[in-house]
Amino acid sequence: MSKKIVIDPITRLEGHGKIDIIMNDDGGVDRAYFQVPELRGFERFAHGRPAEDMPQITSRICGVCPTAHHMASSKALDDLYKVDPPAAAKKVREYVYNIFFIEDHALHFYYLAGPDFVVGPKANKGERNILGVLGKVGNEIGLKVIGMRKELRDMMTLIMGKTIHPVFGLPGGISKPIAKEDRKRLIEVADHAIEFGQFSLKLFNDVVLENPEYMEYITSDIYTHKTYYMGMVDDNNKINFYDGPLRVVDPDGKELVKFGPDEYLEHIAEHVEPWSYVRFSYLKDIGWNGFSDGPDSGIFAVAPLARLNAADGMPTPLAQEAYEQFFEICGGKPVHFTLATSWARLIEMLYSAERMKELAEDPEIVEPKVHTIPTEKPTEGVGIVEAPRGTLIHHYQTDEKGVITMANLIVATQNNAARIALSVDKAAKGLIRDGNVDDGILNMIEMAFRAYDPCHGCATHALPGEMPLKVGIYDSQYNLKREICRR
Amino acid sequence: MKPLVLCLGNDILGDDGIGILAAEKLTGLIDDRADVVATALHGAALLDLLVGYKQVIIIDAIKLTGFPVGSVIELNLDELRTVGSPSPHFTGLPELISLAEQMQLDFPEEIKIFAVEVDDPYTVGKQMNPAVVGSLRKLIPCVTAYIDWWQKRTGYA
Repeated sequence: MSKKIVIDPITRLEGHGKIDIIMNDDGGVDRAYFQVPELRGFERFAHGRPAEDMPQITSRICGVCPTAHHMASSKALDDLYKVDPPAAAKKVREYVYNIFFIEDHALHFYYLAGPDFVVGPKANKGERNILGVLGKVGNEIGLKVIGMRKELRDMMTLIMGKTIHPVFGLPGGISKPIAKEDRKRLIEVADHAIEFGQFSLKLFNDVVLENPEYMEYITSDIYTHKTYYMGMVDDNNKINFYDGPLRVVDPDGKELVKFGPDEYLEHIAEHVEPWSYVRFSYLKDIGWNGFSDGPDSGIFAVAPLARLNAADGMPTPLAQEAYEQFFEICGGKPVHFTLATSWARLIEMLYSAERMKELAEDPEIVEPKVHTIPTEKPTEGVGIVEAPRGTLIHHYQTDEKGVITMANLIVATQNNAARIALSVDKAAKGLIRDGNVDDGILNMIEMAFRAYDPCHGCATHALPGEMPLKVGIYDSQYNLKREICRR
Repeated sequence: MKPLVLCLGNDILGDDGIGILAAEKLTGLIDDRADVVATALHGAALLDLLVGYKQVIIIDAIKLTGFPVGSVIELNLDELRTVGSPSPHFTGLPELISLAEQMQLDFPEEIKIFAVEVDDPYTVGKQMNPAVVGSLRKLIPCVTAYIDWWQKRTGYA
């Protein structure tokens, strides 16, 4: 009998963000659907508000990556008022932004991917958590992660202030400079972060790369898609998270297009499906050709793996070394293995740390002039950053008084949504045989989307105690036959 | 040491803003004897905020069934279920406590939770339900009474 399986990993979202697996009569999978939650009403909410409030408002969209929204919004305001922030302001913004990247990437690797790669994808579900990770690698590593995160958070507080929604980014700069006497501390924290980044890569090397079983998962066809990749680059086509054009490479790694923020609508379009709230981003240059990969499909990926593929390298030496090792071990460029994203994430973490040090060592970072007062009448502005989960776009239009008349946000998970849908479908088809859907198989299907770290935090936080995961098995008439609570 | 009153929520998401509103009311009322912190952070990131305190009150929105909207529900940690979450963003308090115990972190010895039953904590820009706002009439005295009791019991300044 045909049946439908639903994996609903989202708390407090009432049916949004789930996986539906439609099984066939032979015990295999006909199709698996991934759905992400909609962000309800934000564009309407922004309408009529002063544009300069947007960095504070948009940072409230998400309790997971508020800094990414804050920074994209601040850059959109720069563009809106056609004002160029002083060099010191740009450097401070980028320093803060790289702190955020390390903090976020560390959280993902140790808390989220760690259970899969350190404890094991088929391990008992009771052990597949951060406690299981600590059981394998030792408490001292847990303390190191918590200590590093605290140090980074304290530095962010020092720079941005200790308020829930800091007034930091302004059109044309930032609200306050860094004191000269704090620069030494900026360098110290960067040094600690570099050490932490190297340590994390070594841990990945020892635990994952040395384990043939894990490498088999990473390079498995089940987790492979030959798609386009997009990421921000600097003048030398090396990675940058804060500023630069977006570069797209094809499934063979050749540059398809490179464009600035004001051209994004010429290259990125959105496709709608009746079964999902999400608008699936795709490349206009190629077109929407359904849920398929290859050069004829406009589906693209963003986030760490995509960024490494889209760039020609890393601009810092230690990260570049790790980048070269990555492509050598994975068999050349581009790498299409979705599960290699966790490795790419660690390489990016090391880059962020090195970039922090470069910025902190530049005496200009403590220059007092950090704000250029806007003089132009506002009309339209676009701000783009690389969020940890991928390219994030903020686009505003205003009246002449700077009141928002249109706001368009394209978040990273939306850019990845079509490829995530491909990944879930392929993993479900490849892993479910003879109707066998045990806990280990479900976890391995979840791994297909977990690698992207799709962010559902845009909705709300979760009060502990709610059910995070529900699996429902339906017959061909969608009658619920069995329900499994995965918690 | 002062206790922490940790107010969770998002003030642009309809009823989810109740924790932030409670923080505004409590600041000035009890901040001489407790640290009042409002945050939209959640999951594992809360660990950073909790470490170092002995006593903590958490205020949050909740959506259960069987309670009228605006009800103030008092919970202890042992009443929370473990959340084996697929994401660190949704890591629950029980997991944070287990983690803190395993790593012998300086984690709160007492955690009291005051949750307000809400209607719609999902819609951006939606006005808060009047019954949810009305819950402050009960919530604020509950929190201040707890802080006062802790103060008398432990004698912190």
